[in-house]
Amino acid sequence: MTAAALPRRASETYLPQLVGLGSLVISLLIAEVIIRIGWISQYIVPPPSEIAGSFVRLFLEEHIVYRFFYTSGECLIAGVMITFFGIGIGVLMQRFKLLQQACETWVAALASAPFVLMYPLFMVIFGRNAWTIIMMGFVSALPPVILKTIEGISGTRKVLVNVGRSFNLTGTQQFWKILFPAALPTIFVGIRLGLIFALINIVGTEFLINFGGLGQLIEDLAERYDLAGTYAAICFVILVSVLFFMALEKAERWLRPVD
Amino acid sequence: MASGIPASTDAILVADHILVRYETAEGPITAVDDMSFTVRPGEFLSVIGPSGCGKSTLFNVIGGLLSHHQGMVSVDGETISGPHKSIGMVFQEESTFPWRTVIDNVAFPLELVGMERGKRAERARYFINMVGLAGFENRYPGELSGGMRQRVSLARTLASEPKILLMDEPFAALDEQTRLLLGDKVLQIQQELKQTTLLITHNITEAVQMSDRILVMTYRPGKMKRIVDIDLPRPRTSEIVSGEAFGRYVAQIWSDLREEASRGMAEAESNALHHDSETP
Amino acid sequence: MAETGRLIRAAAPAPLLSPVTLLRVAIILVLLAVWEFLAHSGWLYRDVVPSLLTIGHALYGLLSSSGYYFNLGVTAGEIGLALTIGGLSGLAVGLLLGVSPFLSKAYEPYLYYLGPTPKIIFFPIMIMWFGLGVESKIALGALSCFFPVVLSVAAGMRQIDRVLIRVGQSFRASPWQMIVKIYLPAMRHPVINGIRLGLGFALIGTLLAETKLSNKGIGFLIIQAYSVFDMPRMYAMLIVLFVLAIGANALVGRLGGLHSIKRT
Repeated sequence: MTAAALPRRASETYLPQLVGLGSLVISLLIAEVIIRIGWISQYIVPPPSEIAGSFVRLFLEEHIVYRFFYTSGECLIAGVMITFFGIGIGVLMQRFKLLQQACETWVAALASAPFVLMYPLFMVIFGRNAWTIIMMGFVSALPPVILKTIEGISGTRKVLVNVGRSFNLTGTQQFWKILFPAALPTIFVGIRLGLIFALINIVGTEFLINFGGLGQLIEDLAERYDLAGTYAAICFVILVSVLFFMALEKAERWLRPVD
Repeated sequence: MASGIPASTDAILVADHILVRYETAEGPITAVDDMSFTVRPGEFLSVIGPSGCGKSTLFNVIGGLLSHHQGMVSVDGETISGPHKSIGMVFQEESTFPWRTVIDNVAFPLELVGMERGKRAERARYFINMVGLAGFENRYPGELSGGMRQRVSLARTLASEPKILLMDEPFAALDEQTRLLLGDKVLQIQQELKQTTLLITHNITEAVQMSDRILVMTYRPGKMKRIVDIDLPRPRTSEIVSGEAFGRYVAQIWSDLREEASRGMAEAESNALHHDSETP
Repeated sequence: MAETGRLIRAAAPAPLLSPVTLLRVAIILVLLAVWEFLAHSGWLYRDVVPSLLTIGHALYGLLSSSGYYFNLGVTAGEIGLALTIGGLSGLAVGLLLGVSPFLSKAYEPYLYYLGPTPKIIFFPIMIMWFGLGVESKIALGALSCFFPVVLSVAAGMRQIDRVLIRVGQSFRASPWQMIVKIYLPAMRHPVINGIRLGLGFALIGTLLAETKLSNKGIGFLIIQAYSVFDMPRMYAMLIVLFVLAIGANALVGRLGGLHSIKRT
């Protein structure tokens, strides 16, 4: 039976997105008015216009661009580390079934463990510097990469494995020519998850230990009671985070066009 | 043979000039085109038509789940606007609640109206027995077969004691033998409860086996093609399928349906061709 | 009438002393041995890797001090409130977004993209709004907890088998009855998962806020241990914390899973 579509609903046009965006803009305007009037103290929430104005200051005086690259550098290093170690450990675990059966649930449990709470410990071990931050990102981002690597390799379609066997491929050839390429999309999902965890933990740790790039900026501005600046910096970090997340999604879709 | 609409003075359900039209990307589609019919109390009426003729749309209109249509449906003189308490619906898809036991599933409508626990359980057990699932009260639907699950759905709807039982191809997903046996069950229940029943189906054997009258629909836009009185003796069982009169009725309805079904197939094929030629 | 049904049986449990268990025990023993070796080697700065005995001592000391339980209570209370506030509001908003495709298209993208962002950076704002007491920690925990719950519930609503909703409508269930008797049970799996994530995030958010600025709670104790370089105590607290966090996570998962033994 052919599915007849119901009459054009409002939710099928661009109306919802416009309403959503519009209502947010209106909320900002209302907030501006309420704060200027004084119903909400501007020493608790600065008017949105003042926050927007602070952005200029952030660029010119607080070297936010440099800080952005600093934080990105930390993420990059953490990213390379989780890729290397995550895929490596994942491959090893998948190869040795007993190891996988013994440790996979541990890794899964660690995926939801609050590693970032260990930052004081990491500070003792690595000092109050970039390595603490990078290691925090690394440790919290590792489990998803491992798990997805195992999942990807194990989940290769049986028929592809049989194609390899029909060509009498050796174990190593089978792995590099069939299993690993077939697992790449899933592995990339794991890396994407890992990168997100890494960014969150890296920025969070920068804030907590008051060192580094963007996270430290927020902490700094808060200590100086620069309200508008603090709000602006937080918005900037959120923006960076959102764009990063979107970019990763685009990359994943590009890597997985058939799905 | 084909009688018109019977005397509306003793009709319990009246469908009056039902018209349902949709907007689609390819333009407006009329699913149901000006259908009018009535159902007498205690009667078993089947609506039969080819796939895509709009009979499920009709089901949704009568059940009150579809609001943008023209025309009116009334039960006992009262026009309906939304699901009516006198109409009980049994859906085509799996509709048991997987998280509730059989008895909790069947007691669901009783829970909604606030019947107290003891009475609910007693009432639910009565209908569970009626559909032949005694002993399975505390099982979960996941432990039952498809046919058993549909019986649970049926018992659930019966538990709300509707004046009119409205069913949309409830046995479509089952195999033929199960279907015949379940058909027996439904017949038995209907005859015992004197339940007014409106069955939507595409299965001719099923329709003839169970109905007092059959309404044949045309292919989309769905119109009433013919009403056939089924004069087979009651009480009936599935053994009736081997009778001569049965065969004649089936042949008669098939000759009507075949024309409509072919139209449907031809249209589907031309749609497929049309879409193919559009892709660059 | 003949019975046209079969029953499905549950799988048999696995043996106890399997190679898997032996390997796990072996791995744990090896890790402990390496640790102890490092502790006594003198390679690392004193007490960065304390000996297991020292840690055990500190653990015992911790668990037998009333101060610890007081702070544990404070933290647990904060997390509980954060989970309640964040969870209930996430549930309510999620139900709303799940029910209305219009609202979902209008607002859900914002929540989806705001989800994977570090919430701890909002802490200065929370302090400004709620002060220096437990309220700001609870607020941060609730904020962290809100996002995973709302996104899980909204997605869960959309995955509900549509026919179950029509069953409810055909029996003229009231909106409250629909929520309690159909929507929530039908999406118990996504909701349980959302709560697990929410609990994890509430825990992290609340504790991090405590480490940053507080004079009570487990987070405060950890930073205190750090500031006096009492490493064994810090390790002890981290161990307890991890055990509690992973345990709570597993418990919530079990509670949700327990309902589904007999499901398809």
